[in-house]
Amino acid sequence: MSEEQIVRLAGVSRVYRQGNVEVRAVDRLDLDIRAGEFSALSGPSGSGKTTILNMIGALDAPSEGAVYLEGRNLAELSRGELSRFRRDRVGFVFQSYNLIPVLTAYENAEFVLALQNVPAMERKTRVMAVLREVGMAAYANRRPDELSGGQQQRVAIARAVVSEPAIVLADEPTANVDSEAAATILDLMEQLNREKGVTFLFSTHDQRVMDRARRLIRLRDGRLEADEGGG
Amino acid sequence: MRLNTMAWRTLSRNRRRTLITSLSVAFGIFLAVTFTGSGDYSYTSMINTSTVMGLGHVSVAEEGNNARPSLARWLRDADSLRIATSGLPEVSGAYPRIMGQAMFAAGAKSAGGMFMGIDPALETPQHNFFLRSVVDGALFAEAAGRGALIGAEMAEKLNLRPGRKMVITVTDKDGELTSELLRISGVFQTGDHAADSGIVLVPLDRLRQTLGYGPGGVTLLAVYTDDLRRVKKIQADLTEKLSPTGRLEVLTWRETQADLAGLIAVDRLFNNLLQLLVGLVIAAGIMNTMLMSVLERNREFGIMLAVGMSPAQVARLVLVESFWLGCLGLALGIMLTAPWFYYMSRTGIDLSALVGEDYSAGGVLVDPVLKLRLFRESALAILGTVFVLTLAAGVYPAIRAGRVPPARSIKEV
Ligand SMILES: Nc1ncnc2c1ncn2[C@@H]1O[C@H](COP(=O)(O)OP(=O)(O)OP(=O)(O)O)[C@@H](O)[C@H]1O
Ligand SMILES: [Mg+2]
Repeated sequence: MSEEQIVRLAGVSRVYRQGNVEVRAVDRLDLDIRAGEFSALSGPSGSGKTTILNMIGALDAPSEGAVYLEGRNLAELSRGELSRFRRDRVGFVFQSYNLIPVLTAYENAEFVLALQNVPAMERKTRVMAVLREVGMAAYANRRPDELSGGQQQRVAIARAVVSEPAIVLADEPTANVDSEAAATILDLMEQLNREKGVTFLFSTHDQRVMDRARRLIRLRDGRLEADEGGG
Repeated sequence: MRLNTMAWRTLSRNRRRTLITSLSVAFGIFLAVTFTGSGDYSYTSMINTSTVMGLGHVSVAEEGNNARPSLARWLRDADSLRIATSGLPEVSGAYPRIMGQAMFAAGAKSAGGMFMGIDPALETPQHNFFLRSVVDGALFAEAAGRGALIGAEMAEKLNLRPGRKMVITVTDKDGELTSELLRISGVFQTGDHAADSGIVLVPLDRLRQTLGYGPGGVTLLAVYTDDLRRVKKIQADLTEKLSPTGRLEVLTWRETQADLAGLIAVDRLFNNLLQLLVGLVIAAGIMNTMLMSVLERNREFGIMLAVGMSPAQVARLVLVESFWLGCLGLALGIMLTAPWFYYMSRTGIDLSALVGEDYSAGGVLVDPVLKLRLFRESALAILGTVFVLTLAAGVYPAIRAGRVPPARSIKEV
C-alpha cells in the first residue's frame, strides 16, 4: 500500500459563533490520511465528524490551523480553484438525498464527468462500468424517486468514484438505510477500496460500521480520543 | 453540461407552477398587444383623419407659413413641385391646395370660416376627407368654375343647398378685400363640428384668379404616404430635393398639427408607462415564483456545488430555466393573442353605442370602432421586452442559487 499522504489537518479548529455563544466543533486537531486507507471517523452526535469531512472536502474552512489536500493548503485556493478541486479530487457521499432529482441514475453518475468535459463516448463506458460495479446498471434510467434509499446511496457511491478522486468522503453513508442495505454499501466501498485502491474516509456512530473500518478515528468534543489500526 | 435538459425537467416537474407563470407572461403579451395595438390603430386613424382634412402628412409651403399663415405667402410653381414630389417612392399622393380664412354670405346671413382651394381633377377621396363625406350633390367638376362644396352645418346656417349661390370674401395677395360669387355643387358632413360648420371647398383656378396668384400659385402642397413611419424620411428627401427651388418649409404633420402630435405623444407616453408597470408587476411575479423554486431546491444546488459545479454554472442553470419559461410564455402568449388580434384587426368592437357616432378629440374625428393594428416595430418591441423582463426576473434567483452554502444546505433534509 502506498504511503502517499493525501490529507493533513494541522492544528485545525472550527468555531461556530451564534450570538454570544461559541461552539468549538473541532478543537486543535492533527490528522493524516494516506492513500488507500479505509478509515472511519466515529464519535457521538456533535463530536465534529461532519465538520471535519466538510473541511477536508473544501465545503467549509477552519477557523484556525490548515487543511492540506495532496500537499496543497486549501486556504490558499480561490473559489474557482476550490470548485475545480472538489470536482476533480474529491468524491462526496452524504447521508441521504444525494442525487439530483431531475437526473436519472445514469445521468447522476455521469454528472461530474460531464462537468469535467470528458468526451461522451468515454463517459458512457466509464459510467456503465461503475454502475455495474455498484450493481445499479439495470436501474440506469430510473430517477432517484424511483429508487430505494440504499439504491440511491449506491448511485451516489458510483458518482463519487467514477471521476477517480484522491479521496471519497462519506458522511454517515449508511445511517438512513436498513441494515441489509448498509451491509451492501459497506461491502461495495470495501471492494472498491481493495480492488481499485480508492481511499475512503467515512463517518459513523454505528458499531457494526466501525467494525468494518481498518482504521478507527475516535472523536469526542472535536478532539481526537483514540486512533486505532492506522499505519 | 445538459443544462437545457435539466431546466426542462425542472419546469415539467412542477407543471402547475410552470403553467401559471407562463400564463402570466402570456397575459402580459395579450395586454401589451391590446394596448399598443389600439394605440397604433387609433393614432394612425386620427392622424390620417386629420391630415386628409387639408395639410397632408408632409406639407410644402413658403417659409414662415406654418407660424404665421397668410395668403401673401404663396408658392409660384406648384406643378413642378408636385411632379418632383410624386417621384419619391414613399409618396402616395401630392396635391396643390390653397388654404385660408374667408367670410361666406348668402342672403342676409353670413359666416366666417376656412376655404380650401382644390383641383377636382387631381383630388382623390383617399386623401381628401370631404370628398368621402358628400351627403348631398357632388364635388364641382371644373377647376376654373364657380362650384363650392360646403359643410352641412354651414349650409344649414346660411340656408344653402345645391344650386344656390353664395359670396366668398377674402383678402387677396396684396391685402385687398375681394369677393367672388359661388354656386353650391354639394354638401359634406364629416361629423366634426369645426369642419362641418367652417370649411368650404372651392375650385383651385378660380381661387387663383380671385387672389391674384399666377396659374401655378398655391399656399401649399399637401403630401401623403401610406406608411406614417416614413414622414421623417419624406421630409428630409423633400427638403434636399426642393431647397434649390426657393425659401420653402417642408413640415410633417407633427409640426403643422402640433396639438394633435402633443395629444398623441402624451397618450402614447401614458400607454407605455402603463404597460411598463404591468410588465414590472408580471416580472415581479415571475421573480417571486423563480425565487420560491430556487429556495425549495437549496439542497439540490448544495449537492451540485459540492460535487464541483461552479456557482456561475448553477446560476446559468437557473437562467436557462427562466429562458425556457420566457419562451413558453411567448409561445402561449402568441397562441392566445393571435386569434384575438386577428378578430380585432379585422372586425373590431363597435363602441358607437357608448361614445356616439360623432366623437371627436382635439378637433379630430375618432373612429367609434375599436380596432387593433400593430406596427412590426411595436410587435418586436413587445416580444423583446417580455423576453428581457422574464430573463431579468431570473437574474436574482439565479445568483441566489449560485450562493447557496453547500455544507449547510446539505444538512437540511
Ligand atoms: N452551522 C452551524 N452553526 C452552529 N453550530 C454548528 C453548526 N454546524 C455544526 N455545529 C455544531 O458543531 C458541533 C459539531 O457538529 P457536527 O455536525 O460536526 O457533529 P457530528 O459529529 O457530525 O454530529 P452528528 O453525528 O449528529 O452528525 C455540534 O455541537 C454542532 O451543534
Ligand atoms: Mg454529522
